[in-house]
Amino acid sequence: MIRFEHASVTYPGDIRALRDVSLTVEDGQFVVIVGLSGAGKSTLIRAVNGLVPLTDGALHVDEHAVHRLGRRELRDLRADVGMIFQAFNLVDRATVLQNVLMGRLHRVPTWRTLLGRYPAADVAIAAEALDRVGMLDRAHARVTALSGGQRQRIGIARALAQQPRLLLADEPVASLDPPTSHAVMQHLQRINRDLGITTIVNLHFLDLAVAYGERVIGLRDGEVVFDGPGSACDAGVFEDIYGRSLTADDTLTETLPGEPAR
Amino acid sequence: MTTPVTDPVTVPARPPASRFAVAGTVAALVLTWLTAIAVDFSFADLVENLARRNLVVEGLLQPDVTQLWSERSRTAFVETLQLAVIGTATGGLASLPLALWATDYGNPNVPLRTLVRTFNNVVRSVPDLLWALLFVTAVGIGALPGLLALFFFSIAVVSKLTADTLDGVDRGPIEAAQASGAGLTAMLRTAVVPQILPAYSSFVLYGFELNLRASAVLGLVGAGGIGSRIEFFRGRGEWSEVWGLVLMFFAVVFLVERVSISLRRRLV
Repeated sequence: MIRFEHASVTYPGDIRALRDVSLTVEDGQFVVIVGLSGAGKSTLIRAVNGLVPLTDGALHVDEHAVHRLGRRELRDLRADVGMIFQAFNLVDRATVLQNVLMGRLHRVPTWRTLLGRYPAADVAIAAEALDRVGMLDRAHARVTALSGGQRQRIGIARALAQQPRLLLADEPVASLDPPTSHAVMQHLQRINRDLGITTIVNLHFLDLAVAYGERVIGLRDGEVVFDGPGSACDAGVFEDIYGRSLTADDTLTETLPGEPAR
Repeated sequence: MTTPVTDPVTVPARPPASRFAVAGTVAALVLTWLTAIAVDFSFADLVENLARRNLVVEGLLQPDVTQLWSERSRTAFVETLQLAVIGTATGGLASLPLALWATDYGNPNVPLRTLVRTFNNVVRSVPDLLWALLFVTAVGIGALPGLLALFFFSIAVVSKLTADTLDGVDRGPIEAAQASGAGLTAMLRTAVVPQILPAYSSFVLYGFELNLRASAVLGLVGAGGIGSRIEFFRGRGEWSEVWGLVLMFFAVVFLVERVSISLRRRLV
């Protein structure tokens, strides 16, 4: 369970990315966070694993009080939290398997990492993660040989290799084309349902948010302005979240929510 | 029907040379002139020296390559190669952590990072021959001071070049490793080192080329290798032997450089 209590994040230069956010995410939920760029989506998601520290308030992730953790305890927390990135953040010069094994770093002794000799059990976990995203046959391929959608699946496999309790995805489909975006979102949804891993996804495409968000949280200027099921989201709700009327750029396909296809 | 009359197109006038460039050129010429006066440079002396009998040049015209088969010269050659290989291998290996610990992501501890950076800068500011002199004084004449000199000289070259490459790595994988709870060393090994490995290997090879050349000079100050032999013959005024050794050394350096350059081209 994740519990934000009056959480605020202020960046240097008095930029307030999160303002007094209080919300709770129950175990196993699939939550989509929407908002304009700069609304605080990335900050919110990065607060959960302590990549961005809170400047005020409290944040609990399961038994961890994230706002009070030291370096060592933060690493223990992060080992249980998988993360997926917009730019994939893979090592291009390494193989697929080497990238996925990065998800095991917290469990593998450093000397083994240095020599590149991972225990068979950890390699098996990495292989299972690759298999779940349908990329096991490319285990020894170079990342540079893969398409964008395949790279993001490797990113998901790397997060899964951590055997996480919680999955954070920061704009996972922003660099992908529409069909690939749906494929990646379906992978995330299936993982959430099959493995029961709590999942938080940042999106800025409203139709994706409605289609996949079991629960949608709308952020505007660092404040929660909407919190409800995806089915309750119509164009009016999104206009309120965005603070402006919607355009075709706000959706993946050219259909606004609650509007007949054009 | 009349064709409209148009003015011929002309190139606009060239802007005047910048005052800075003019002043800089004048200053450079004046400085050169002043320096020549200060060091008593004279063409007359040059020509006069050329006309005299010159043992050094005569030796160059008749190099004695039979030195290649002399036991002592051969041993000295092998020693030079050994010095270059071991000096580069150890110094190159030490450079990797030194370069990594000098980066912001590789060393979150600011005082420690400043310390590593200062160390790297100090090592770099000392020239190879001075390292050799220092160690000859410290540990005595022989191959050991040469090895120590090349060790530090390798660190100077490789750590600097590697540090520049490290500034340009993709930070994405670093964030991913940190988000997975990886320790610092594990993060550097998996997220950073694969990115710079080809460039780093190329820098080590380049360091080897430099070290091979430097190791010839090291002997002049008593730090072992082929330089000691060259210095021995130079002291006795046996210029044919000196030039024979220099030619052989040139051939070896040329060969090693060709191989090294083609290897490096394949790496990057």
